[in-house]
This record gives sequence, C-alpha cells and structure tokens, in this order.
Amino acid sequence: MSFIKNLPLLLLLLLSVFFISACKNVPPVTSGIGSEKLALEQKYSKHLQVHNKELASQLHISEIKSRKQNDLLQVNLSLTSTYKKSLQLQYQFQWFDKDGFVIEAGKSPWQSLELHGMQTQTVSSLAPTPNVATFSLYVRKVPEKYFKY
Amino acid sequence: MNKLLVTATISLALIALGGCTNKSVVRYGDATAVETTDINFGSTDLQTIAGQMTDSLLLSPVVGTLTANTRPILFVESIKNKTSEHIDTESITDSISTKLLRSGKFRFVDMARVAAVQEQLEFQQNSGMVDASKAVAFGQQVGAQYMLYGNLASIVKSNKDKSDVYYKFTLRLMDLKSGLVEWADETEIRKTKEKMFISW
Repeated sequence: MSFIKNLPLLLLLLLSVFFISACKNVPPVTSGIGSEKLALEQKYSKHLQVHNKELASQLHISEIKSRKQNDLLQVNLSLTSTYKKSLQLQYQFQWFDKDGFVIEAGKSPWQSLELHGMQTQTVSSLAPTPNVATFSLYVRKVPEKYFKY
Repeated sequence: MNKLLVTATISLALIALGGCTNKSVVRYGDATAVETTDINFGSTDLQTIAGQMTDSLLLSPVVGTLTANTRPILFVESIKNKTSEHIDTESITDSISTKLLRSGKFRFVDMARVAAVQEQLEFQQNSGMVDASKAVAFGQQVGAQYMLYGNLASIVKSNKDKSDVYYKFTLRLMDLKSGLVEWADETEIRKTKEKMFISW
C-alpha cells in the first residue's frame, strides 16, 4: 500500500534521472579501417588495419593497386560492401616521401562515397607531387553528431 | 508528503531547464573533414572538384606528351558560375592552379596581377629611385601557351520533404596557338537533403 502511495514520488525520481542525462553531446565514432604505409606495387593484405570491427563486418578493402603515371603515383582502392544497406563512407589518402615524411600534411581532404548494398566500387587518387614514395589510406563512416537522451 | 512532492517537482523543473540550455562552444575542426552543414556549395565540394580535376589533367596522356620535356605555361581564364548560388569560383581556380603548380608539371602566369606588376615595373623604370642597371626591364615576360577555363553549372530540385542539388564542373585546356582544345573533363557532385524522422 505504501508503494502505491509513493508511486508518484518514484516516477518523479525516475524522470529527474532521465532529465539529468538528457542532451548530452557524445563525440561521433570516427574510427574505421585502413592501411599502413604502402610502397609502389606492394602487397597490401598483410598491412591492413582494423580499428572499427563493426565497420569491418560491413565493408572490406578488396584491392589496392598502385602505379606510376606521368611521373606521379596513382592509387586505385576497391571497396566491397558485405552489408545489404547503403553505407555513407569517406576515405582519405596520405602521401609520404622516401624517408617517410608526410607530404602536404593536413591538405588531403576526406572524400565522401556512397556504397550501395553489396556493391564494389573503385576510387582513384593521384599523389600531389612526384617525390611520393609511400602512401596510406583510411576509410570510415561519415561521422554524425550523436545526442544521448 | 505534499510538501515533498512540490519540492521534487520544482527541483525537477529546474534540472530540466538547466540541462537543456543551448550552450555554444567554439572549437577548431578538421579543415579536411566532410562538411554537410547545408546543401549549398561547400568546402568539401571545392576540395572534391579541385582534386578530381587536377588528377584527371595530370593523368591524361595528352598532358604526358605536353609535359615530356618542358613545363608548359598556363593561364587561368575564369570559371563561369552558372549556378543559382553565389560561389567564389576564383577559389576553385586558385586550388586547381596551386595543385598543378605543385605537381611540377606546369608553370603559370597570373593575369589577375598584371596591373600590379605593371605599376611595379613603371616604378622601377621611371621613378628614378631604382638603380637603372638593376631595374627589371619591360618586355621580358613570357606569355602563356595554354588557357584553362571552365563552367560550373547546377540543377536544383526540391519538394516538401527532399531537396536535391547536382553540380557539374567542366574544365578545358586550350592551345592558344592553334585554338585546339587539348584536354577537357567534367566532374559531378550530387547532394540531397531529406527530412529525418526522430530515431533512437
């Protein structure tokens, strides 16, 4: 009987807990999958990195190819979706010279890519300068701002 | 009991009000991040266009032949903005010309600064303040061999739930001597905005 009497109070308590946790801004998930530094025509399969297992179960890097074209290093990246729904992705290439120094740090933009269910898509990128020796790449989901209620 | 209830209600209301106030926070973001603030032309579009066009130009076999033994001299005419938005197209051409210049394949003359150069040369030649033997003489500059020009067009469609914008950017390289278009490419960008229903 006393429980029913106290019910409004309990409800209030629950509500206040709910409100305290409201409107909390949670940083988005920005980890993904990528590769270590790869040289021209290097085999990539042993140099892949998985930082986000959820994304790795939906997507895998099926091919990385590189060649020299007009003195510049060109890279082809094939992404295969193993997920039935569309994925909103973004990818980034980074370029390094023969000593492993980054070229044009912070200037390589994230490019967005929509991958449909089970689709394989190939994207290409070109090194900005002729002295690029190695490259790395990274793929992640488009981060959205999350609000916790 | 009643007193307790009133106190609890008031404190709850205060918490609810305080917890959800709009606080604006300033922080530095990633300049290379994908930006989706609204559907209008943004930094990601600019970076995509500049990147794809430069890659395409540098990869084309024609450019491979042109740049085999020499670094051709280019000038950027302009990018005509045919969209319904106000877009700073000079910013796109700046990005493209900087990337091309940094690739080491091309050289550029800057037509936007001709007046300033002329003023400086006139100062050196005619002001009497510069050593005549060291002053830069008129008539020694090199002219451009190729012209880079293009268009940016858009198609915008929307209904009450969805808006869609399609950008098409065309860039061409013309040989000034023969008038032939040696290279051309276009790139497309599609952006959509949909009303999202609240999801948990």
